[in-house]
Amino acid sequence: MGLLSDPSISTQNKLVDSLAKHVRKVCSGFYVLGVVWLACLALPEFNHGTYLSENALSPGLVYPEIRIDSNRLASQLLEELQRERKEHKSTTPHAWIAAKFNEFGLETHTHNYTLRYPFGGGKEYHGKNIYGILRAPRIASTEGIVFTAPYRAPTSVHPDISPSVPLLLAFADFARRKNYWAKDLIFLVTEQEQLGMQAWLEAYHDGDRVMNVSKAYLLPGNLPARAGSLQAALNIEVQDLEIDYVDVKIEGLNGKLPNLDMFNLVQRIMAREGITSGYKQTLRKKRRSNPSVFEKNLRQMLSMLATQSSGVPNGNHGLFHRYRIDALTIAAAKRQTHATLKGNAGSAAVPLLKAIEGIARSLNNLLERFHQSFFFYVIVNNDRYISIGDYMPALVALVACAFFKAYLTWSTLDFELQPAATATASAETQSGSEPDTAVEDGLPYGSVLIYLTAVLLIGYLGNVLPLQQYFLEIPMGAAPLTTSVLSFLTLIGFILPFVVVLPAGGLELLHVGFLLIFGCSLIVVGLLNFALGFFVAVLTVPVVIALETSEKNWNGSMRNLTRLITLLLNPMVVVYLIVLCMSFYQFPELKLDKLLLRAATAAMDASAYGLIDCVIYGNWLYFVVSTVFLPLWILCWTLALSKRRDIADYSDYEETQRRKPKPQPQTKLKTN
Amino acid sequence: MNLKLVSIVYIFCICGISCTASNEDTSVLPEGFVDATQRSTHTNNWAVLVDASRFWFNYRHVANVLSIYRSVKRLGIPDSQIILMIADDMACNARNPRPGQVYNNANQHINVYGDDVEVDYRGYEVTVENFVRLLTGRTQNGTARSKKLLSDAGSNVLIYLTGHGGDGFLKFQDSEEITSQELADGIQQMWEKKRYNELFFMVDTCQAASLYEKFSSPNVLAVASSLVGQDSLSHHVDPSIGVYMIDRYTYYALEFLEKVQPFSTRTIGDFLQVCPKRVCISTVGVRKDLYRRDPHKVPITDFFGAIRPTRVSTDRINVTLANESDFIADPDEISANKRPFKIIMEPQFPSEFFK
Repeated sequence: MGLLSDPSISTQNKLVDSLAKHVRKVCSGFYVLGVVWLACLALPEFNHGTYLSENALSPGLVYPEIRIDSNRLASQLLEELQRERKEHKSTTPHAWIAAKFNEFGLETHTHNYTLRYPFGGGKEYHGKNIYGILRAPRIASTEGIVFTAPYRAPTSVHPDISPSVPLLLAFADFARRKNYWAKDLIFLVTEQEQLGMQAWLEAYHDGDRVMNVSKAYLLPGNLPARAGSLQAALNIEVQDLEIDYVDVKIEGLNGKLPNLDMFNLVQRIMAREGITSGYKQTLRKKRRSNPSVFEKNLRQMLSMLATQSSGVPNGNHGLFHRYRIDALTIAAAKRQTHATLKGNAGSAAVPLLKAIEGIARSLNNLLERFHQSFFFYVIVNNDRYISIGDYMPALVALVACAFFKAYLTWSTLDFELQPAATATASAETQSGSEPDTAVEDGLPYGSVLIYLTAVLLIGYLGNVLPLQQYFLEIPMGAAPLTTSVLSFLTLIGFILPFVVVLPAGGLELLHVGFLLIFGCSLIVVGLLNFALGFFVAVLTVPVVIALETSEKNWNGSMRNLTRLITLLLNPMVVVYLIVLCMSFYQFPELKLDKLLLRAATAAMDASAYGLIDCVIYGNWLYFVVSTVFLPLWILCWTLALSKRRDIADYSDYEETQRRKPKPQPQTKLKTN
Repeated sequence: MNLKLVSIVYIFCICGISCTASNEDTSVLPEGFVDATQRSTHTNNWAVLVDASRFWFNYRHVANVLSIYRSVKRLGIPDSQIILMIADDMACNARNPRPGQVYNNANQHINVYGDDVEVDYRGYEVTVENFVRLLTGRTQNGTARSKKLLSDAGSNVLIYLTGHGGDGFLKFQDSEEITSQELADGIQQMWEKKRYNELFFMVDTCQAASLYEKFSSPNVLAVASSLVGQDSLSHHVDPSIGVYMIDRYTYYALEFLEKVQPFSTRTIGDFLQVCPKRVCISTVGVRKDLYRRDPHKVPITDFFGAIRPTRVSTDRINVTLANESDFIADPDEISANKRPFKIIMEPQFPSEFFK
């Protein structure tokens, strides 16, 4: 017999009763514990120093062999490229790149892809990637490493990173002369930022599969040549041959990260070559600002979590993670400090080239994919990290509130409703009618289930509706379309509790259901993307703790405050507020009304980008927001309103409560 | 009383034997030969050299075992009596910038994977099963002669193991391991099957001393690169190849062996003192309790070479061939000598009680 369904085991005992009285205090305790736990991890005592656990990498055991002639080649190629760029203002000089790959003796191929933009009647974009394969001389082409450099046309809004292509070419020329490659090296130049990368990856892995072409948005085409299973990838974004520091970017799609070994490897090799490098590395701050270690660590942690939470990769490397390929970006910033001092241009890029060589040789030593070190971690400092086992309890503590409260609500549910049910039953018998079935059942499971399903359906529609053919044919941009669909659904959710009122006991049951769904979905989201799960938990758990269905211990002002906060926590409103904050920091000179307007358009764009990311790259943020968070908000809103069906019933219930002031001892006697 | 008498008789006999030995014409034999026969009782030498680890970053283990191979071969053990087990092929590894070559030194003076290396067990053939079968002589049918340890009661056997070890085991091939108990049992079986005269066991792994702890067979001398709880470390890196070249203990052992010539007077006792803690970092462990001779009187070539006592004679020696009749006895005589006998079977069950 199941423990939960066994009627002989009472859920009511002294402990539960006393806990039920203090449920808010206990839950608040959990909440504080979770937040403090995470903050504590920034203390050096609670995080660990990084180390390399993959023996095969053996970083830094080789002397770099790349010499100054490679640097000369790079700067010569850069000059040529600059000349090409004058002719190709908004396009990529494919011919030049392919010619250079060919010249260096690589197996050069071109990859064409097409994007069918679905919104506003539909448009088609075409793109082209160039890649060259250097076959490993003494082994079958079963494994490969990718070196990529994104190409940006001069008209691009992003910073110019054209020197990465010459650097890549110079390294390719060097690598071709070596006989020790145990993996094929692929040198890839992509265009149109992440789109080109995504198309190439899809073509590499699924290009030969027959696909339903009519439905796909991105048509990756097929590749003429491959190099076995890809083991690792290094994305190079260099602003200039003379560099100041290297920023190692690791956050990928949906908050995934490359193996910690790979990050450590890059850090170690960079240090060996004397390059300032680090995670979220920036120019050295002013001497006056000297925060404590704890504060610095905490900032670093939070900024990493913030980057991860959106699930958008911060470089081309992020798209590799989906295919279980460890990848990261080394973004080298243009030299600014001592810019007046004329550096030695003849050897400026040598350290970086040496570092790339060292990384390549270490990756070449890999015997299998990265697997030794952590895939889930938070970097608190360049050489310190927090493992998943240490940070997960923070989220668990936050989510524990929901389950704890659900249990207590459930165990007090029976006992609260029993008097009401008996009262109605007695009233009905007095009036002569036979006892209703609802009295036996006690709780309206059916109607609550229907309500839950309806709410989830609303969320699902948010995911499906904007992509319906009918809507796509409307000549309207993606941003207004998505926003209007989402606002419409939010409005339905807003009105729903006013229109549909649950029968007696329904709200309490809905409360338990809501708490369980909330807890489960947060823990699942947190497992897949800790940052998102944690931030959402931090924002929403206080409201969840405050929610209460019975009027007894929920006074008016508290209730109104909860309602207000619930409204503010609507996903649409949250997106708007986040965008507002970001635009405030980016454009501090704007006036408030203009800022609000600009934030509104930006938020609309953001939701459209979310949808596009979802369908093209497989980012599930939009999906989670519309299918999980929106329904949860509707449920939360329903509970915050606490509309009851029949005032008469309710007063009756109140009356019975007053008439039987102490039902508690009776039940206790029964159960004991 | 009886016991006393026996012992007196025994002592007398020994004296008699020694007297007769001294009475024999020893002046014909050179002094050195007599000394050698008194010390060494072996007639042939075998070596089993095992590298149990694979992967490119374990290059040093291959270099270890190939260097020892080179030394024992130089000192006279022929390829037919060396069983070489190498778990991975470093020379042909795609990552090797010097294809077909293996060096044990950053100077790259000697290519230890030269033209005349005969690997008997290579790659995935290097398993615990094959190793134990090799030691105990229980090779599967059809095993090539070159893959068998065909030693006998007069063989001095050198066993050298290298790879990654732990407390009480040595890892083979990243997938299995041999425990110290299995190793001890294998050697005990060798002793019971008279597969060795004396055995020198040498091992260079982490916690190497744990491997000889369980030995109980006689005439075994064991040396290990590190004690239990210690790591054995590598000696140096060759930055042009990008791997660690050789392990410390083996490096210093080789340094010693390189100076040994076939007629050298260096002893095993000297060899046991190579690689002191100051250079080795780990402490070299030695186990002598099973060995009956004094290591300081045992020439190193007893194990690392194949130097047997040889008598060079300039005099004419009469060798008379034996007649066939000396060996084959007359069958009639045998049958005549045969006494009639009767086999009496003892009853297995006490059936008379139940009659």
